[in-house]
Amino acid sequence: MNKALEGMKVVDISGSISTEYCSKIFCDYGAEVINLEPKSGFETRNTPPFIKENNESAMHAYLNTNKLSLIRNELTKNSMDKLISKADLILTNGENSDLTLKAEGVVSEISWFGKGGEYEDFIGTDAQCFALNGMLRILGSVEGPPIIPTGYQAQIIGGMAAFVGSLGQVLGSELGNSKNINHIETSIFEACLCLTEVGAVSFFNTGLEGRRLGVNRFAPTYPLGVFPCKEGWIGLTVLTPNQWHSFCNLLNMEEFASVPEYQTSSGRLENIDIIEPVIQEKLLTFSSNDLFYRAQKKGIPLARVPTMEELLNVDQFLEREAFGSAKLPGGLDLKVPSIPFRLMDTPPLIGGKVAKLGEHTKEFSDEA
Amino acid sequence: MKHNLPLEGIRIIDLSMGWAGPLAARNLADLGADVIKVESCENFDWWRSWEATQEWIDEDGAEKSPAFNSVNRNNRNITLDLSNPEGRELLLKLVKTANAVMENFSGSVLPKLNLGYEVFKKEKKDIILLSMHAFGSTGPWKMFRAYGSTVEQSSGLPHVSGDSTDPPMMHHIAYGDAVAGLNGVSALLIALRYQAKTGKGQFVDLSQVESLFPLASHGITEFTAKAKEPARNGNKSEFFSPYGVYPCKGDDKWIVIQIFNEEQWLNLKKLGGKTFNQFGDLQDRLSRLNELDKAVAEWTTTLEAQKLMYLLQEAKIPAAATHNMPSLLNDPHLSSRGFWQWLDRAVVGNQPNPSAPFIVNGERFPVKTPSPTLGQHNEEILSGILQLTQTDIDRLREKGIIGTKPRMPSLK
Repeated sequence: MNKALEGMKVVDISGSISTEYCSKIFCDYGAEVINLEPKSGFETRNTPPFIKENNESAMHAYLNTNKLSLIRNELTKNSMDKLISKADLILTNGENSDLTLKAEGVVSEISWFGKGGEYEDFIGTDAQCFALNGMLRILGSVEGPPIIPTGYQAQIIGGMAAFVGSLGQVLGSELGNSKNINHIETSIFEACLCLTEVGAVSFFNTGLEGRRLGVNRFAPTYPLGVFPCKEGWIGLTVLTPNQWHSFCNLLNMEEFASVPEYQTSSGRLENIDIIEPVIQEKLLTFSSNDLFYRAQKKGIPLARVPTMEELLNVDQFLEREAFGSAKLPGGLDLKVPSIPFRLMDTPPLIGGKVAKLGEHTKEFSDEA
Repeated sequence: MKHNLPLEGIRIIDLSMGWAGPLAARNLADLGADVIKVESCENFDWWRSWEATQEWIDEDGAEKSPAFNSVNRNNRNITLDLSNPEGRELLLKLVKTANAVMENFSGSVLPKLNLGYEVFKKEKKDIILLSMHAFGSTGPWKMFRAYGSTVEQSSGLPHVSGDSTDPPMMHHIAYGDAVAGLNGVSALLIALRYQAKTGKGQFVDLSQVESLFPLASHGITEFTAKAKEPARNGNKSEFFSPYGVYPCKGDDKWIVIQIFNEEQWLNLKKLGGKTFNQFGDLQDRLSRLNELDKAVAEWTTTLEAQKLMYLLQEAKIPAAATHNMPSLLNDPHLSSRGFWQWLDRAVVGNQPNPSAPFIVNGERFPVKTPSPTLGQHNEEILSGILQLTQTDIDRLREKGIIGTKPRMPSLK
């Protein structure tokens, strides 16, 4: 057993980004993941971005390496019942609930807002989760409009939360702790509240409400943001008095290092009109790469802010195989992120083959 | 809850600080694990404050941090000065009783304390160690430092966020921390299941920066699929219209509206009346994007965001008002689902605690105990798990190895 989750069977009957990200984690660590797709394929097959050469979904490829694809309409009732009853875990977005009737394992349902409550019947999107959880209000220029986070971030966070609940439950059952649990429900919206709950609890205690201060400006910390350098972009976060001293030294602006009002983040934020022009001017005399290494050597947590091309070529990430190859039918290779954690004795799969729609149907039909 | 919690009987020693590690630990504690958080009086969790002063200590500031208190519930807290050989030995004795240890220091901290996976493994053969370093435990950047904001800056996400007229945009709220936390608990659950099946522990290496790559996956895959840097389109979509954030009546009130198909568009047209009649099919709308956005904004600006959200959702149109964080405590949806669990907490009184986002067989996971105070469980753990006598415990207190009040490092 050199795969940590070897022997586990997971069936995805819905194929949303959340269910697929959740099952991806299982799959990367060795579980058998079966996509039980409709004849037209899961919706993620039509989800942008699309590959230039064949117009297929790059997102689907990323989420589905090493999984099996079955067309459910082509399975007999007997095959289907066997498949469902033998699964340790069935992932669903709540639709096609009849498919889970024969389930003997845990059914894990991931929906936008969960069961019950005022938003239960709302049509959900990633942007809406961030609007309702309070994050959108702090993004963008002061005058607005707030800026929508791109991509599928809420759904991926929902998928991760569902993974935690689902594997926690399967493990609990195996440990003899929670044998009678057969249904888990994860709300993507509630999963995204882990990002903003602290803002709500802070307000309850302090009465202070944070307002949008502009792009890359966040109370109470300053400097914190993405700034242009002579070449590239640098990410600044200067928090403690020691870091402020080292930062001033790094940028040759010692005159600011010991100013009493500048020792705290909030003090610096109050004096941003004096400090920022100097920081910006100094940064333009460095390349981001050079500044990044010099800062990290001094223990200041600065970041190089990479473009996609730069990201895929960073030594650190190449050495760690942070990206693998999704191999598509037809011979195309796509660089995709690997799972971000490594169990060193039972390593995850890095990249892998993406199945054609229905590629494995025959293997699971009665006659096979 | 009518049944045992899934991780009852599992013990985690949590050395982590800030948000990423503690959020992972919180999930484990919610699932029923016995999470013992280890701090020390000098090296207390910086999430309590990164600008501690004597005045802050005197005023019980360490117990008043909403950020710390909201993420450390359901666990137990012990102080041990790990730089003292006796404190270090006590930690190793605790490790002997545990399934896993977790930490999210920078790479140099554990080695300086002569601690690490091999040391823990000598104490307990099947121990798991989860290290959550900013850039992971291997590679040329393994010793580099980062906060949640640095993690986001390094992840590629800013370059696919925001508007092209602005610099690459951060989401901040220490985004990297929260997402690494969810990855951390995922990693530990996998390792715990493998441990339960095989009796084997292992070292688990998590990179906080890599934890954000899945959130930037649409940008990463777009680049590799098209060999072109993705554009930063702000609130505009190349596929859909209307699509964006529109002003509503009142100060800083907005609504997100996203039309994904013709049925939704026709429903919006019905609500908006003649304002939208001049716009036709998707192609027409995409070609007159700015004109249409202006028309939608003129319509929404006369309406209240919250009412409009319900009106649009009733018409099966994806829409949401932009709420602020304080309003989450009174959000009707969260209230009716029992999301906030209120518990009395020492020093700060009654506090809202957010629930775990998963519900089993219709029941919430309970927040049984609020975030403990510094060293609240010193005696319980030292006399209970480690079987120390009261005399031993008093001596540890006198030597400053344990305690219940922070101390400024200069006073050490």
